[in-house]
Amino acid sequence: MTTQLDSRPQRKASQNLPLDLFKKYSQKVIRPLIALFILLVIWQILCMSPTSNLPSPIKTVQDTWILIANPLFDNGGTDKGLGLQIAASLGRVAIGFSLSAIVGIALGILVGSNQFMYDALDPIFQVLRTIPPLAWLPISLAALKQSNPSAIFVIFITAIWPIIINTTVGVQQIPQDYKNVARVLRLSRQKYFFKVLFPSAVPYIFTGLRIGIGLSWLAIIAAEMLVGGVGIGFFIWDAYNSSRLSEIILALVYVGIVGLLLDRMVAFIASKVVSEDKK
Amino acid sequence: MSVFVEVDHIDRVFPLPNGGSYVALKNIELKIKQGEFVTLIGHSGCGKSTLLNIIAGLDQPTHGGVILEGRQVTQPGPDRMVVFQNYSLLPWLSVRDNIALGVDEVMANRPAGERKGIIEHHIDLVGLRHAAHKKPGELSGGMKQRVAIARALALRPKLLLLDEPFGALDALTRGGLQEQLMKICEESQVTCIMVTHDVDEALLLSDRIVMLTNGPESHIGQIIDVEIPRPRHRMEVVNHPSYYSWRNEMIYFLNQQKKDKLRKAGKVQVIARNGLEKVNLEIGFIPLTDCAPLVVAKEKGFFEKHGLEEVTLNREPNWKAIAKGMATGRLDAAQMVAGMPISLTMGAGNNPPLPMVSALALSRNGNAITLSKHLYDQGVRTLADFKAALEATPDKVHTLGMVYPSSMHNLTLRYWLASGGIDPDQDVSLTVIPPPQMVSNLKAGNIDGYCVGEPWNSRAVNEGHGFVVATDLDLFPGHIEKVLGVREEWANKYPQTHLALVKALLEACQYCDDPRNREEIVGLLAQDQYVGSSLEDIRPGFIDAYDRGTSAPPQMLQRYNQFFVDRTNYPERVEILWVLTQMARWGLTPFPKNWLSIIERVRRADLFGEAARQLELPDMGRDRGPIKLFDGTVFDPNDPIGYLNNLEIKRQIRIEEIDIDAVAMPVA
Repeated sequence: MTTQLDSRPQRKASQNLPLDLFKKYSQKVIRPLIALFILLVIWQILCMSPTSNLPSPIKTVQDTWILIANPLFDNGGTDKGLGLQIAASLGRVAIGFSLSAIVGIALGILVGSNQFMYDALDPIFQVLRTIPPLAWLPISLAALKQSNPSAIFVIFITAIWPIIINTTVGVQQIPQDYKNVARVLRLSRQKYFFKVLFPSAVPYIFTGLRIGIGLSWLAIIAAEMLVGGVGIGFFIWDAYNSSRLSEIILALVYVGIVGLLLDRMVAFIASKVVSEDKK
Repeated sequence: MSVFVEVDHIDRVFPLPNGGSYVALKNIELKIKQGEFVTLIGHSGCGKSTLLNIIAGLDQPTHGGVILEGRQVTQPGPDRMVVFQNYSLLPWLSVRDNIALGVDEVMANRPAGERKGIIEHHIDLVGLRHAAHKKPGELSGGMKQRVAIARALALRPKLLLLDEPFGALDALTRGGLQEQLMKICEESQVTCIMVTHDVDEALLLSDRIVMLTNGPESHIGQIIDVEIPRPRHRMEVVNHPSYYSWRNEMIYFLNQQKKDKLRKAGKVQVIARNGLEKVNLEIGFIPLTDCAPLVVAKEKGFFEKHGLEEVTLNREPNWKAIAKGMATGRLDAAQMVAGMPISLTMGAGNNPPLPMVSALALSRNGNAITLSKHLYDQGVRTLADFKAALEATPDKVHTLGMVYPSSMHNLTLRYWLASGGIDPDQDVSLTVIPPPQMVSNLKAGNIDGYCVGEPWNSRAVNEGHGFVVATDLDLFPGHIEKVLGVREEWANKYPQTHLALVKALLEACQYCDDPRNREEIVGLLAQDQYVGSSLEDIRPGFIDAYDRGTSAPPQMLQRYNQFFVDRTNYPERVEILWVLTQMARWGLTPFPKNWLSIIERVRRADLFGEAARQLELPDMGRDRGPIKLFDGTVFDPNDPIGYLNNLEIKRQIRIEEIDIDAVAMPVA
């Protein structure tokens, strides 16, 4: 027995600390950095010739260094720093998305807990949700007459469908066991809602919210391009019209990063709210 | 105590998507007393959870209703708390909040301090103080189940409904929780209904076990009263004398249900092979020493030698189960007590006539009458002493056990009692008890004696619970005891199979009577799937000298278990006529005016003769002479009615023409 035990391969104690750290982070950090670097190099090679239509990365940074360095300048009108532009867009998203979250969750619970409403409304939702966000813009402009509320409405109408549909599913998926517990205890409606229905549907609601926020960020760029005013979408459109391609590229990078951060933020809130068992 | 919960003739019909309907429960009727612990047991899908949900009010019966304390149950309520199979704790609430949810809702009219006290008390009750703040996700399965039980008990329910509460737990946790539940139930006097799969769990916890048959149309198949005194302990209940017989009964029930399901699904097919119509036979037997020919035929390959390659021997709990197995077609053939083929044929006991055929006697002798040690200590040694003991205690009812109304045990026991001037219906009480349960009933004092086949007499002697007052050799030496019985319709359908069966068993009988083989046979019989008794209980009378449990020295008994010699196997008619007269004497059946045709039809000497000739054995019958019993009475087979009229102790004797073919065959 003893010989067998001794002959077992033993895990070697780590000796080389930097190497260990490298191993630990290589997967999550170093590999993406390598990929990014290679992409930039390819881009640089492709766009190096002076006749190229698009700027190379080095040229992009050179061209837009003022914007990168000063994100918060304000020269009045639409001539503002990128930080302020993004903040304006985020403000619209915040209003539109908040509205769609409130209305969407309420509608979703109503539809999910009432078979009649579900039968009546679900087909309509299924049709409406397939309409592309920008298709709503003309009709909202016509109805609201102003550009800013129209953009917010587009956000609202884009984000609401995944929230409604996921909330509905969440309510419908409440395990029969929980419903039975509530029935046996004869819980009041109010208590049922807060202690059983809502907590049980929360994971689904957050799935809806996460999809919703992604879609609203997608929609705001397109909407702002059309309605104008301060905002990252119009900034891109304005830059295109002035042939400032480097600025467009910088704006795109910012848009991507903000979109990612929004998604991560909702996911983070979900992880704090949703209990261990339900994930 | 009065009825607490009444399940009043419940049906539950589920509509099917294709427009049809599925009858899950059919005519369930159950009355439960306050404080009782009732278990529902059955195979998956038999509707036991549906029944529990109906009692809880979570589901509504299609017909009938549930009445709790005189009020009909129409909706769920906290007076009938359910402990669900998968705990059903709300994962976003801590242990304390899960319990509080119900308490705060149901006891809203009590002050907050009292509610808090109740919550904390129940947390302590299930020993979860250290985990009170944890969420269910952080708990083990056993802890979750404890929370679920605490949540249910905290509401002080009148009725606790448990749906497989310990199903998902490991054995150790389960055992601990079972004891905890029992303790809590006893302390708070709560009435419980539990659904389970586990027979040991059911026996440990229950006062009554309700066994449900398979769906569709599931109904109550059997109810066992578990009379183990409380408080019970997990390690000790198994020592109760009836524990294993109850357990066997339940397992038998569940196995039968399983086989039933297979048969309904059409999976049991007739396999024809080797020139026989059917080689897969289900044969029933009762754990007794004289089931030896069946065991030998199976173990020593006599069945296979005659082409019966797939014979299953079914150990049955009692003779009634064999009769039922025959009637339903579950069994192809069975070991039977001597009078059974003819009593089934005549439809005794208000059953429809079921024509049977017996072409082979399997054994002779092998029974004895045992009386309790208690009577022995009072000085009872003989029948006359027993009569004196009965007269000395006129206010005490003496109960004697026997195995089946038309068995030789019942008839010789009655004959023996009557010969001593004891009326078997008035001076004592006779009760039917399956052979393997005789000793435990004697030990428990439920009966004062019995007549049964071995090894159940020697067992009582060896364990010191009784003594043998008379053996077959004292009463009716060489009488026919066990026979092979099949349905007449079956014999007509599978004539070659029947012949092969008779031949195989005839050879096995010959093997059993060779003294050189007896040691080996004892070893075979002692196996659990056959008699399952110890060697010491089987040997006396079979090989060794027979100990009566008295001061007399053990004595060698010649032909105590007789399987072949002296034309044992011939389907004798005179003895069956004697059986008919005795059954008529005690009012079990009318005496058939057409007795000759009925006996001829049941006792198929022609089939026996064919089998014996093919085996080159003599097929001679026994002499058709009068039977002379120990008391000197002579039975003349030419004048059975005259014999009946001359008997002193007897019931009103009916003599009727019995038309066996009047009722259509009940076998599908």
